[in-house]
Amino acid sequence: MSRTTMLWYIGSVVVSDVLDKLNELLDSEDGSTVNTSMRLPSALREATALAVEQLGVAPSTTTFTTAALRRALETAVMEAALEAHYGQYPAARPSLAEVALALAAQDRSALADQPHLIERAAAEVAARYPHADADDVLLWAQAQQALSA
Amino acid sequence: MRAVVFDNEAVQALSDPDHDKHRVVVAHLAAVVTRRRKGALVLAVVPTAVRVEAGWDRSDARAAAINRFRVVDHNLDTAVADTAARVARRTGASVADAHVGAVVRHLPLDDVVVLTSDPDDMARVSAPKAITAIRI
Repeated sequence: MSRTTMLWYIGSVVVSDVLDKLNELLDSEDGSTVNTSMRLPSALREATALAVEQLGVAPSTTTFTTAALRRALETAVMEAALEAHYGQYPAARPSLAEVALALAAQDRSALADQPHLIERAAAEVAARYPHADADDVLLWAQAQQALSA
Repeated sequence: MRAVVFDNEAVQALSDPDHDKHRVVVAHLAAVVTRRRKGALVLAVVPTAVRVEAGWDRSDARAAAINRFRVVDHNLDTAVADTAARVARRTGASVADAHVGAVVRHLPLDDVVVLTSDPDDMARVSAPKAITAIRI
């Protein structure tokens, strides 16, 4: 089964239905809480408590854990939604170079004005590292620029 | 922490796979996901007045696909409406563009990116706050 097909179906459940339910839950204003039976490694739990108490990373371990979990879930939903979209509209999938170019523009990097350099960097990085992402492309392009300066 | 704000044209492009700028806007959303995967907090934001102008009704079944991307609403509440009114009066901008300017001011972030068909307009409604306006 291809990755695309896998993203459209989990067992007999359509991914779009899963994403809709996830979004509904993430957007819910229901503030009720539940004592979870989730088992955390005790060292991780202790590290979290220590970071909250001594580094002030969050008002409480609950706040810290909840925010981290929410961020991770939101990112997973966004990524899955994009993959599902690409499954339905293959032409909508941007190339690695196009994503890198978008990221350069968002970063106000001078690389945003050099699409050919980014395209070449994307091709070179992807040939060596098939799982490279847009940040890898920008780093590669900057390194190439530095070498040729 | 960064916010990537969508204007009307960006919403139109995202919602229509046949739009000639669809892939460009999707690339920007993919860039947001790239950074989020590395732990950066990057939000994709749409001012609700922009949704009105773009005809994006979240309760409409036709909006199901775009709703899944988690481009979150920035509401036109009392304080934001007051700011938007001042922006509109000062610049003559449309309600939607004025709401973009108000959002830029109200987001507690220094790094605001606006995806737009008109970077000059977006810079004007956002002034004096500096933004990164990207022409799509």
